Amino acid sequence: MAAPKVAFLLLNLISILPLLVSSFSPDRPTDRRILVVLDDLSLKSSHSLFFSSLKSRGFDLDFKLADDPAIAVKRYGQYMYDGLILLSPSTERFGGSLDVEGVLDFVDSGHDLIVSADANASDLIRNIAAECGVDFDEDPSAVIVDHSSYAVSETEGDHTLIAADDFIQSDVILGNKKIEATVLFKGIGHSLNPANSMVLKALSASPSSYSTNPSSKLSSQPPSLYGTAISLVSVVQARNAARIMISGSLDMFSNRLFRAGVQKSGSLNKYEKSGNEQFITELSKWIFHERGHLKAVNLRHNKVGESEEPSMYRINDDLEFSVEIFEWSGSSWVPHVSKDVQVQFYMMSPYVLKTLSTNGKGLYHTSFKVPDVYGVFQFKVEYQKLGYTSLSLSKQIPVRPFKHNEYERFITTAFPYYGASFSMMAGFFIFSGVYLYNK
Amino acid sequence: MGKSATTSDVHALFHSLRSAYAATANHLKIIDLYIVFAIVTAVIQVAYMAIVGSFPFNSFLSGVLSCVGTAVLAVSLRIQVNKDNKEFKDLPPERAFADFVLCNLVLHLVIMNFLG
Repeated sequence: MAAPKVAFLLLNLISILPLLVSSFSPDRPTDRRILVVLDDLSLKSSHSLFFSSLKSRGFDLDFKLADDPAIAVKRYGQYMYDGLILLSPSTERFGGSLDVEGVLDFVDSGHDLIVSADANASDLIRNIAAECGVDFDEDPSAVIVDHSSYAVSETEGDHTLIAADDFIQSDVILGNKKIEATVLFKGIGHSLNPANSMVLKALSASPSSYSTNPSSKLSSQPPSLYGTAISLVSVVQARNAARIMISGSLDMFSNRLFRAGVQKSGSLNKYEKSGNEQFITELSKWIFHERGHLKAVNLRHNKVGESEEPSMYRINDDLEFSVEIFEWSGSSWVPHVSKDVQVQFYMMSPYVLKTLSTNGKGLYHTSFKVPDVYGVFQFKVEYQKLGYTSLSLSKQIPVRPFKHNEYERFITTAFPYYGASFSMMAGFFIFSGVYLYNK
Repeated sequence: MGKSATTSDVHALFHSLRSAYAATANHLKIIDLYIVFAIVTAVIQVAYMAIVGSFPFNSFLSGVLSCVGTAVLAVSLRIQVNKDNKEFKDLPPERAFADFVLCNLVLHLVIMNFLG
């Protein structure tokens, strides 16, 4: 009696399954699912403030132990998650089908990643970070030590808990409220390749920090990582708008450091609460595209006075150009307002470069005269600003020269030639008359 | 001594040229005047183009060609009408003038078309 009922219920549930699968799509970046890989399930409670802030913003967190054989981000070619958080610095191998290549494919397909290393980070985590453009110190037992910028505390005396306040200057990445308190950090540091233009230092170390093993004597060679070249937390914005955060300290995310007071050595300021919670929360908002994700729609151009887009312009025409730019606010697309969006009228080099003026509601427009050169041009909008996704739009349009009946009927500079030709005709008539009737 | 000899030679040359020219028939002198008028107009147009530039090049060509074509046709008329010319001894001068008129008509038709 119960069996057919259960079977019926199951049948009903299966019919809802297609709906569930189609409920998240890249065009609707709400209701995102995040896979959190932990190497110790106690992290769920020791880092609960971080996870609850993510949940309160609408993310579905799926916690899995690092060696769980059921870990998979992709099934039948479709990605099951929109974000990945790896808080498993000491894991050598993930269980299931996830590996370095799997993580990189995940990012290459446009999804976001938060990776945290820590002291004694495994090669797996180091390799993932290296592929993202970040080089951790090769010495596996080295941590960041800073003898003049450490956090004053009674328990930790070896100055590995450092107080950092050298943030990246960007309101998009860190929010418009300035982070007053310093951030506590305990872990390893990394350096960035200066030739890489997509990776940024979100939190740098102070000039007096260096990377070393605190329990062994200093070797005679200087440490490989020292000073402000050390980055404690880096962010990467890839060309496909995927965002990656790489941190050298797992403790930075923990409830203990979120709630701790902090006093930087050598400074009189004592903060009741460290800046960790604000820093990590704002940075995770940027990583998961709640700020700084732009989209440009409706690139339109038309001749002044018309409303249709022509298929070809003529030289010396007057035209108008407009584009709409929106920014994702976490729940909807809001107009993006900025004074420095520019459009180029480009053929091998920009013939016209104009700054677009905005009406405050996301519409950017300008008008200019087509240059006196004919050929195939492109309207190009290239907008790359720190912390924002880069916009790269182009629309091709041919420009033709004057048709032969589009010149003025009588060209003023040619009047002497007209005069000469007519005077020749008149001269011919007069000459014939004189010649014939000359006695 | 040599200088005054050469200048007097030049004077003598000009004098003999002018007296020889005065002996030509009247109708030939009319044709010569017409040719000079055409060439001067052509030179004025070339000087104008050198200053202003060749923007409506077709108009420039049309103007210059009308002057040069007129001069060429007038020269050929003069050759055919000149009684001292043994080659055209048997050609009636009316025939030469008729050819001249027809060619001028064609020339001016082409010029008007090319003038723009």
